[in-house]
Amino acid sequence: MSVVLTARELTRHYEVSQGVFKPHATVRALNGVSFELEAGKTLAVVGESGCGKSTLARQLTLIEEPSSGSLKIAGQEVAGASKEQRKQLRRDVQMVFQSPYASLNPRQKIGDQLAEPLLINTSLSRAERREKVQAMMQQVGLRPEHYQRYPHMFSGGQRQRIALARAMMLQPKVLVADEPTSALDVSIQAQVLNLFMDMQQQYQTAYVFISHNLAVVRHVADDVLVMYLGRPAEMGPKEDLYHNPLHPYTQALLSATPTIKPNPDKPRIKIAGELPNPLNPPSGCPFHKRCPYATEKCVTDVPAFRPVGTRQVACHYAEQFLKP
Amino acid sequence: MSLLEIKNLSVRFGDANAVPVVDGLDLTVERGEVLAIVGESGSGKSVTMMALMGLVDAPGIVRADALRFDGHDMLSLSKRQRRQVVGKDLAMIFQDPMTALNPSYTVGFQIEEVLRAHLGLSGRAARARALELLQKVEIPAAASRLDAYPHQLSGGMSQRVAIAMAIAAEPKLLIADEPTTALDVTIQAQIMELLLALQKDQDMGLILITHDLAVVAETAQRVCVMYAGQAVEVGHVPQLFDAPAHPYSEALLAAIPEHSEGAERLSTLPGIVPGRYDRPHGCLLSPRCPYVQENCRQHRPALDPKAQSLARCFYPRNQEVA
Repeated sequence: MSVVLTARELTRHYEVSQGVFKPHATVRALNGVSFELEAGKTLAVVGESGCGKSTLARQLTLIEEPSSGSLKIAGQEVAGASKEQRKQLRRDVQMVFQSPYASLNPRQKIGDQLAEPLLINTSLSRAERREKVQAMMQQVGLRPEHYQRYPHMFSGGQRQRIALARAMMLQPKVLVADEPTSALDVSIQAQVLNLFMDMQQQYQTAYVFISHNLAVVRHVADDVLVMYLGRPAEMGPKEDLYHNPLHPYTQALLSATPTIKPNPDKPRIKIAGELPNPLNPPSGCPFHKRCPYATEKCVTDVPAFRPVGTRQVACHYAEQFLKP
Repeated sequence: MSLLEIKNLSVRFGDANAVPVVDGLDLTVERGEVLAIVGESGSGKSVTMMALMGLVDAPGIVRADALRFDGHDMLSLSKRQRRQVVGKDLAMIFQDPMTALNPSYTVGFQIEEVLRAHLGLSGRAARARALELLQKVEIPAAASRLDAYPHQLSGGMSQRVAIAMAIAAEPKLLIADEPTTALDVTIQAQIMELLLALQKDQDMGLILITHDLAVVAETAQRVCVMYAGQAVEVGHVPQLFDAPAHPYSEALLAAIPEHSEGAERLSTLPGIVPGRYDRPHGCLLSPRCPYVQENCRQHRPALDPKAQSLARCFYPRNQEVA
């Protein structure tokens, strides 16, 4: 399988004004994230609000330039790419956003919105574009007469189908989906997730699937990256991570996720407090203030993101949690 | 007598012939009970609670055979009398904590307002009680938070403040409308734990409105599943999850990713919830139901309390053969 997306130590810092006469503060929204993604595979990125999930999405889709680190899409290095090359790269990475209400142009017909990527990026004739759009609409479960309709005439689930169709028009190599189903009801969520899976199977697109819903992630992902305060906490194959989470934060996340088969004997890992202020992150391990196992070392030393078993974990004591 | 008794509630918007948004709903809640109402958007969960609180304005029309809370007939109360009940014995927590609080007043002032209106406390006594309430909802450094404005608090903290306001007058029934939907999982777990602890502690009735079945499985004793304005199934919690009787409950459960672990595809119900103007003639689920019969298309099933399970279906699922 070919690797289509490689991120190395991807970092993004933002300067934040503190007031007129004060120096700017730096928010390290994304702090050294590395991964590889193969065609047809899904990497899920999970974490709480403010952990850097969406910042990562903005770097991957070339909406922003990373502060440092390297990003390779389909073997092409993004930093230092020429204008022409960047144009090609943008074709290869597409995105589906969280809110299907805000991501479609309310004043443009669905057919025109779906044809726009083709109009800009290809030299197809009007008739050919229309044909392609109709084919894609059928694939995502829209009827031909929907071509002439406006977004407000569709339900949330249908709009998310349209957003996915638009993203897939150019058959991108990588699709970044930022919480694509969190605005939808359960039964509609199931329909849309099935559609995502069908599309991936057909086009062998690599997905970066951003979500805070661990149950959904478990269904769609091959690999999972757990982030905390801009840093990777744990990354590895889905099954290993769910059966034997190594980072205390992953353990807490899994334990906090409600389940339809509650097991009263299973102890709940309580994690107190909230995400620290990213302007003033704690010393040492960013999680130590909420971690039930934190020691002296965690307060002073930043744990390296290092391989443990099949995974990579940023915890000094990851080995202790590893089940044989 | 039940703490809350709703009989044949219907809510319409428009004239008396308009399609009801809530239709023929029966519901009871006992003291100290946690009842969950589950359903997708537009199923009438929130409107039911708005009707109970008297928050449905014209052109909304609320009709019911009975709408009794703690001995009060909520339909015939005057506005003045209603104000003495709502906010005191009957309190509500809303989905979005950021918009539930008034941005121009401090947290302390807003909690004290409840105490002044309903308990007649003022001055130092009110402030001391407000501080106590903030500590009760586990807000760190509570004393300094009394003078904070809502924008200075995170979502989880704001929701805690909203809970503090709701429980300020020790209500008998607390309605929580999607209290954790806007929050992260770890915060959601903290808030649910807090709500349940308070509920036990004060022996409150708690109505939990949600679309997350997993939250229901972990917290509620009874659950009412709503579909297109009707209660389609009412049951006790482990039973309804183990053996749902209504095809809609079954489909909702099956659509949760957790349910089809390891499977390639999620099980889905085709189509969407019918809108107000395209209600089918027979059973409301009939166009989407995988087990539909001719009978279902012609007649609308009733929620028969004498049946083995409380499901609005002619052919309930998972019935044990007697």
